[in-house]
Amino acid sequence: MRNALTLLIALAAVTFVVLAGCKDQGNEAGSGGVTEDSVKLGLFVSTTGAIADFGLATKNGADIAVSEINAAGGINGKQVELVFYDIASKPEEAKSAATKLATQDKVLVGMGAVASSLSLTAAPTFQTNGVPMVSPSSTFPPVTEKGDLIFRICFTDEFAGAALAQFAFEDLGKRKAAIIMNQDDPYSTGLANYFKARFEQLGGKVETTEKFANNTSDFNTQVDNVKSATPDIVFAPVYYNDITLIGQQLRGKGVTVPILGSDGWESPTLLKNAAKDLEGCYFGNHYSQNDPDEMVQGFIKTYADKHGDKPSSLAALGYDVVYFVKNAVDKAGTFDRAKVAGAMRNTKDLKGVTGTYTIDNKRNASKPITMLKITGGKVEMVRQIMPEEVK
Amino acid sequence: MRRSLATLLVALAICAGMNLFLAQFIEEYVVQVINMVGVSIILAVSLNVINGLTGQFSLGHAGFMAIGAYVSAFFTTDLSYFNPDTAEYVTDPALVSSVWGYLGALIAGGVAAAVAGVLVGIPTLRLKGDYLAIATLGFGEIVRILITNFEKVGGANGLSGVPQFQIVLSGEGKDALALDGTFFIFSFVIICVLLSAQLQRSTFGRALIAVRENELAAEVMGIPTVRMKIFAFVYGAFFAGIAGGLFAHLLQTVTPASFTFMKSVEVVVMLVLGGLGSMTGAIVGAIVLTVLPEALRDVEQEADLPGIRMVVYSLVLILLMIFRPQGIFGQRELSLRLLRRLVPGRRISGDETPKPSEDRKGTEL
Repeated sequence: MRNALTLLIALAAVTFVVLAGCKDQGNEAGSGGVTEDSVKLGLFVSTTGAIADFGLATKNGADIAVSEINAAGGINGKQVELVFYDIASKPEEAKSAATKLATQDKVLVGMGAVASSLSLTAAPTFQTNGVPMVSPSSTFPPVTEKGDLIFRICFTDEFAGAALAQFAFEDLGKRKAAIIMNQDDPYSTGLANYFKARFEQLGGKVETTEKFANNTSDFNTQVDNVKSATPDIVFAPVYYNDITLIGQQLRGKGVTVPILGSDGWESPTLLKNAAKDLEGCYFGNHYSQNDPDEMVQGFIKTYADKHGDKPSSLAALGYDVVYFVKNAVDKAGTFDRAKVAGAMRNTKDLKGVTGTYTIDNKRNASKPITMLKITGGKVEMVRQIMPEEVK
Repeated sequence: MRRSLATLLVALAICAGMNLFLAQFIEEYVVQVINMVGVSIILAVSLNVINGLTGQFSLGHAGFMAIGAYVSAFFTTDLSYFNPDTAEYVTDPALVSSVWGYLGALIAGGVAAAVAGVLVGIPTLRLKGDYLAIATLGFGEIVRILITNFEKVGGANGLSGVPQFQIVLSGEGKDALALDGTFFIFSFVIICVLLSAQLQRSTFGRALIAVRENELAAEVMGIPTVRMKIFAFVYGAFFAGIAGGLFAHLLQTVTPASFTFMKSVEVVVMLVLGGLGSMTGAIVGAIVLTVLPEALRDVEQEADLPGIRMVVYSLVLILLMIFRPQGIFGQRELSLRLLRRLVPGRRISGDETPKPSEDRKGTEL
């Protein structure tokens, strides 16, 4: 009995020694991450685990923005030091990385995460420590409700789902929809929910909602049910690997109506694997690689020179998030966190690779969604749906 | 009995002291990691009773943990879920909001997991070895998929805004002297470790080991093997449920994605690393495998190679298994007596082991 107790104490002591680090009592009030000639910005995304691709793209985009900014003289005269932590697609890692960034590295701003569930885990830590957090790509609405220091620079599922429904109903004139979604994925279920609500509010009807689980490769059941519902459009808010198979199997069973998708479709391999099956289909994205805009093309060129392929939306958002922080510091004219957060809240018509955006009163980015069409083996931009169009 | 109670009280006091010390002098990040270590210790020690002591290879620990996490968070959290009719998120206020409510919710989570342990244990514990592993793995996945489809607890999004509780001793606001997560977590660590240590040394524990060593022989000796196995399963499930509840309130979010079978595998790896069957091993395994990925963060940051952390982590595991396949401790335990043997010439006066007569008197009361 006493042995076990002593053992425990000994182990606790060992843990202390291993982790020994003394609390810095002199917590400089307000301004964060600033040394004589540099300012620290935190980045936490998953570069390992289930969604590593997205995290890597985000980091690559952010790295480009940081080197551009540093080459041009930094933020407010200070060079940017990017403190990056991998959070391995795990909430416990998101929490510890957030704590490390906010309390040990004392970064000015934390940028991340991609997955909404990980952003939700990190947000309270940043909020209680008074460090602003900006998610580049978490689209789940409640993320920014965690506090007045939590921001995002992408649109929400609420907006995207409604915009896509409106696009299907008004632009394409469709009335009978079928939904295929991944029930394990909050992104997929979120979009499906908002799409359905808006589509039916407009007067359309969702005939059936077909669910599948992660790592499904046989979609026969779902495809059969979609077929018997005879929809005039199929909404599939899923990732590119799933839509490749879904497209193939839908066409194989003779369902020829257009499929409408979301930014999860975007991938260099989409056209390689599914150009034929997805001909005439649409998806909504954060930006178009064909956008003739100088800033967009400039970013695409820099990225392609460095990494060999064109940047995905995640990379573009990773690039934009750094400039969002820079813009706020420039506006605030100081590294005081509260003032920087204030400037973030007042961000208006900031131009980024992913469109021009304004931060609304819920600290979400109000920005357009870019509708793309797959036609003739290419992805072409149809139009941008502006936030004021979707009510 | 009185002796155990006194030990427990001393232990709780140490927890409280440790909590205050950490909050006062140690960086929040380090405290966060220490708290995660605590949760891992409960998971590993409780799984050790099933996998190590009783020799039943279970891969369902994440499932029990998920049940505990969701049940406890269900009581303490404002539930926000999607109403498809109005396309809006509806919020139900939390059922409990006091520290006692929190403790109740944790226990409820443990009990729910234990009940699940009985329900799963009865049919599956007839299976042996690989078959049992697969059946329990299936159980874990079933739990996760059920939760994913349960809109009330957030579906695939999970629950966020899980509160953190604290016992305020004095003061207010941020400067208050208070017992928080560390106290709760390590109190349960101590309860779990002390109980498991007692169990291991009791007749009951010996019976569990007998089941592991040779089920047929144990049966012949009059040990009700099936009941023993179910007991171990329920015991492990209860503490996994408690660990799940603590985990949920530490991270303030619960998502089904936290409880994939990879989580179960992680706990099994802790056991194997420390030495399957050794409680000390389980504790050391839990500490190493929780601290290692965090300690490697700085390496990754310096090297600027995203992902290198996991490569190093895996390498450490591979090397350890090559050079020490029985785990760090094998089936040995670290105890004071062992330490005394290691330090020659030093003698501690007084008998460390309780006299048998004394113990027996205790149990009769």
